[in-house]
Amino acid sequence: MHNLATASPFGRLFILLFIAWRNIWRNPVRSVLTIAALAGGLIMVILYASLLEGMTRQMVQYATEVSTGHLQTHRQAFMDDQDLYATLPWPYLERIERDFPAIHIAPRLYAAGLASSTATSTGVLIKAVDPEREAEVTTMLSHVRSGEVNLGIADTTATGLVRYNVVVGAQLAKNMKLIPGSELVLVTQAADGSIGNNLYRVAAVLRPLEPNFDRMGVLLSIEAYRQLMYLDSGFHELAIKLDDIDALSGVQAALDAEMLTLQVEHPLDKLGGMAVVRNWRQLTPAISDMLQLSRSMLVLIGLIVVGLASLGMLNTMLMAVHERTHEFGILLCLGMKRRWLLLMVLLESFFLALVSAVVGSMLGTLLARYLEEHGIDFSASMPDGYDWAGMVFEPVMKGYLEPGQIVEACLLMFVVTFFASLIPAWRTVRLKPAEVLR
Amino acid sequence: MIREFSRYGMVWTVALFILAAVAQPAQAMQVEELIHHIDELWRGETSQANMTMTVKTRRYERSMTLEAWSRGKEYSLVVIRDPVKDRGIATLKVIGNIWNYLPKINRVTKVPSSMMSGSWMGSHFTNDDLVKESTYEDDYNSSISFEGERSGKLIYEISSLPKPDAAVVWGKVVMEIDQQTLAPYHSRYYDEEGALIRTLSFDRNKVIDGHAVPMRLSLQPEDKPDESTVILYQNIKFGVSLEAGFFSLQNLQKRR
Repeated sequence: MHNLATASPFGRLFILLFIAWRNIWRNPVRSVLTIAALAGGLIMVILYASLLEGMTRQMVQYATEVSTGHLQTHRQAFMDDQDLYATLPWPYLERIERDFPAIHIAPRLYAAGLASSTATSTGVLIKAVDPEREAEVTTMLSHVRSGEVNLGIADTTATGLVRYNVVVGAQLAKNMKLIPGSELVLVTQAADGSIGNNLYRVAAVLRPLEPNFDRMGVLLSIEAYRQLMYLDSGFHELAIKLDDIDALSGVQAALDAEMLTLQVEHPLDKLGGMAVVRNWRQLTPAISDMLQLSRSMLVLIGLIVVGLASLGMLNTMLMAVHERTHEFGILLCLGMKRRWLLLMVLLESFFLALVSAVVGSMLGTLLARYLEEHGIDFSASMPDGYDWAGMVFEPVMKGYLEPGQIVEACLLMFVVTFFASLIPAWRTVRLKPAEVLR
Repeated sequence: MIREFSRYGMVWTVALFILAAVAQPAQAMQVEELIHHIDELWRGETSQANMTMTVKTRRYERSMTLEAWSRGKEYSLVVIRDPVKDRGIATLKVIGNIWNYLPKINRVTKVPSSMMSGSWMGSHFTNDDLVKESTYEDDYNSSISFEGERSGKLIYEISSLPKPDAAVVWGKVVMEIDQQTLAPYHSRYYDEEGALIRTLSFDRNKVIDGHAVPMRLSLQPEDKPDESTVILYQNIKFGVSLEAGFFSLQNLQKRR
């Protein structure tokens, strides 16, 4: 006590730290259990954060890399009601390609039609792509379940009819019993009002990409589309991929300006409306909302888990303080300042939290690394992956460990445990030495 | 299209003619009998017709020459004769199902039920217009809602409301029929909210087998005032002999 009273503030803190540390290990079993509870909570939070981050990353990746791209351009009327005639002229494509060397662009065309196989007929979404440009922008054509992606000419029938290859969505293939090599008939209303119809050969079936495409998507080349639809005026959609995602807003603004210039040089017809450039957040609002939501959820779940674990610590500290009531009374009689006593109890909880944080983050990191490597495999029960917020996820749920999140989780635990330890600390302060020593 | 025609042109005319010939019972009875006669008469009917269909949209205008056969309400066959690009494309309707025959690829495709509200051959008529199995007697409660002079013509106005459990798309159908010739002028289709969706107008009457038959049908969608589909009959024959076997998938392919 003499030391404590005469020591410098730093020295005093050091002594208190030493005493607090020794105090924890006076009842090692209890302390270890408390640490286990806190560390367990922390591990939970870290694993949850890692899985959520993994899903989020997969989501953003799917939202952009698989079929959407970072930016897209359409005419207003196409956005409103898929107006077949609301096309952007082909010269726009060349100009954008020339003026923006740092971006990759892929034109696309769409139409609604009726697909028939020998077994059944169903309404489909016909989507035309340029396979070479598409491969630079999205990975759509590489998600192959069976067959080989080839959008060229398959063969010529005995009557001189050229059959093009098409690629179909997973669910559509299942519903229509299509396999690579199957024949498919497409019937639609062509741009000139005639009945567009042709024979096609299914070259490949894609893995699930997004629910709409899986159920109705038929992919063909722009050349095959032209022969079916008699639509030469341009393209409906331009998907854009940036090399540097951080330049997104700048490129979007520059493209907007470019579109205005182009519309002066090559005026568009009135019916189709203006050209509009949108980024992936605007194109897939459900996903960007989901990202926001998952952040808030993470904080909330973290609070609940750590809060529950802290109750264990609260109990431990209350017990420890209660057991040592007599001892504290003596300390106070010997001239120990109440605020030192308070600090000591707080330091004891801090040590518990610190040890838990070290153990928890180490074990949590190890487990999260394992999740990152192997993931949780649902492929036995869901071979096609699962569908959440309009996105199809792979059946293996993989984590992604962000070091910042471990630090945040630890900070969260320190804050919660600090508040929990205020209760026992306050009880110590209010001790009446005369009463407890009686 | 033949069905549209026979329902509103021929059948109404005949039914009203018969009705006009009998003594005047209470009005409710009149309508009941009228509707009964419409459905009964129409069922046994066969027809063969040549017509031109002109579809006008914001983007294009095109004409097609069609030949059509029908037998009762269950069977009909329409074949495109012109333009060359679509020649031989045929639509067969047999008891609620539609098939298209496409000569270019030599395939028959069935129109699934999910596509029934889709446009038929690019016109403003839907596939459903072609196959609807509803009858006025079974599916609608009809009444004469107006009788007298309107726009200088003596007309009957017949309002048909669907029965509660009927599988029909319209909320109300209102027809105006000339009292003298018993040929229809208009048929207006309303949705369940009572908003006018489309108007089918009839004109250019021609007397066939003693009945005034409108030779031109114009369908005007209400939300697209600059678009329309007009069917003009070159000729139409009733009571031609057509076996049910005529309306078969085999015949569909053979007729090209």
